[in-house]
Amino acid sequence: MSKRETLRQCPVDFNHTTPLYADNWEKVAREMREECPRAWSNNFEGFWLASTFEDISAIAKKPEYFTSYKSIDPVTGVAKGGTSIPPLPEFRAVPSESDTEEWSRVRTFLNNRFSPAAIEKLRGRTAELVAAMIDLVIESGQLEFVDDLTNPVPAMVSMELFGFPLDQWKRFADPFHKMLFTPQDAPEYSQTLADMQFFREEVDRGVADRRAHPRDDLLTHLMHGLDSGVFGQDLLHDIAFNLMAGGIDTTTALTSNVLLFLSRNHGHRDRLIADLSLLPKAREEFVRYFTPVHAVGRTVTEDCVVNGWEFKKDERVFLRYVSANRDPAVFDRPEEVVLDRFPNRHISFGAGMHRCLGSFFARMMFDEMMKGVLTRMPDYVIDEAGIVHYPSIQQVNGWVHLPASFTAGKRVGASIT
Amino acid sequence: MRVRIIAELCQGHAMCSFACPEVFRLSDEDGHASVADEVVPSEHEFAVEQASRSCPEGAIVLD
Repeated sequence: MSKRETLRQCPVDFNHTTPLYADNWEKVAREMREECPRAWSNNFEGFWLASTFEDISAIAKKPEYFTSYKSIDPVTGVAKGGTSIPPLPEFRAVPSESDTEEWSRVRTFLNNRFSPAAIEKLRGRTAELVAAMIDLVIESGQLEFVDDLTNPVPAMVSMELFGFPLDQWKRFADPFHKMLFTPQDAPEYSQTLADMQFFREEVDRGVADRRAHPRDDLLTHLMHGLDSGVFGQDLLHDIAFNLMAGGIDTTTALTSNVLLFLSRNHGHRDRLIADLSLLPKAREEFVRYFTPVHAVGRTVTEDCVVNGWEFKKDERVFLRYVSANRDPAVFDRPEEVVLDRFPNRHISFGAGMHRCLGSFFARMMFDEMMKGVLTRMPDYVIDEAGIVHYPSIQQVNGWVHLPASFTAGKRVGASIT
Repeated sequence: MRVRIIAELCQGHAMCSFACPEVFRLSDEDGHASVADEVVPSEHEFAVEQASRSCPEGAIVLD
């Protein structure tokens, strides 16, 4: 029996879109890494699952053999390839689902909008929005963390980065949020896709407006990209979609997970409250531990061998970052949160050239939300009876509801507008 | 101790800069790291060593 057949026999009925996976992801990640680190699943037309840090890292750094590219049939809307398994229909995210020359052109065009220096300029306004959202609930002593803080703040900050007015933030944010936990065969899914059309139209309207009234915002930057031929009209929506989807739900998921963890682990919370300078290291540890984007997909471009693992052209591969980040070959006590863990080689932001463009943006928003909560409602308790996890983890592991109560405080008079 | 960054490997994860901002600078363009001086001041040797072990890309070389 060849090695390849042995691997394929690994009987994994792996399906990350089921509620069973959503409820047991930690156990699944551990068992797969230990028992079948190179597995084949027959679901979604078949795909490989890579589970060790070494394999995932090696594959992610070979985009010439493992492409992120996605094609969408213009007539049927059927998608092939890309970074999600199964492929998300209708939308392509660029630069995430792009490689080679196109990736380089778009990524270079976007990089300086998301550099550490550019993101630092948004910190003050982000802190103000956090304060304003907390003001809305602070006197009541109750909130629902997802609806009142972790979903709106990244949505609003992302919208301001684009240059969209905030009055319709919910209409913008909802489809991006829901798309990530609604299974594609659920009846609500088609409504979510329809709501996305609103976003496309707003992008077109915004870009047209900036042509007459340029500002210092992303819509103006995109208008320049379009008009100077960096990309065409077709890519405009794909780029805008990628930037909005990247900003909204991943940071929401991370922050929600951490808020719940700290409600359950008061020792960790007390340590952070006593010394907020711990936050950067703790944040990286939480990013490792929760790995907001559980996995990304690739497609094999030609027959190849990586670390002795054979791949055939057109096979799909799922890189399980969530498993790599708890690989005991790289991390001591991988299943524990060690607040001041360092060094910390996590690959939650990816590895290789597709390193998350918004990583500095996400870190900044997370820090400001956490500072707001830990200073103004430090004794919050999440009502465990009311929490609702994403019914499925398509790609992002987050929460739908996290109701909480805390000792009421005073407003600081921060303003959303 | 001397430190170098292999520019083709660096992707801008920024872990080195968290470990030792005195030695590792991040580009305003793309967040990729660079070092102004390859010679590491002795007081930063420990932090630079930690930085090299934190790089997900293995882009930091110590001599």
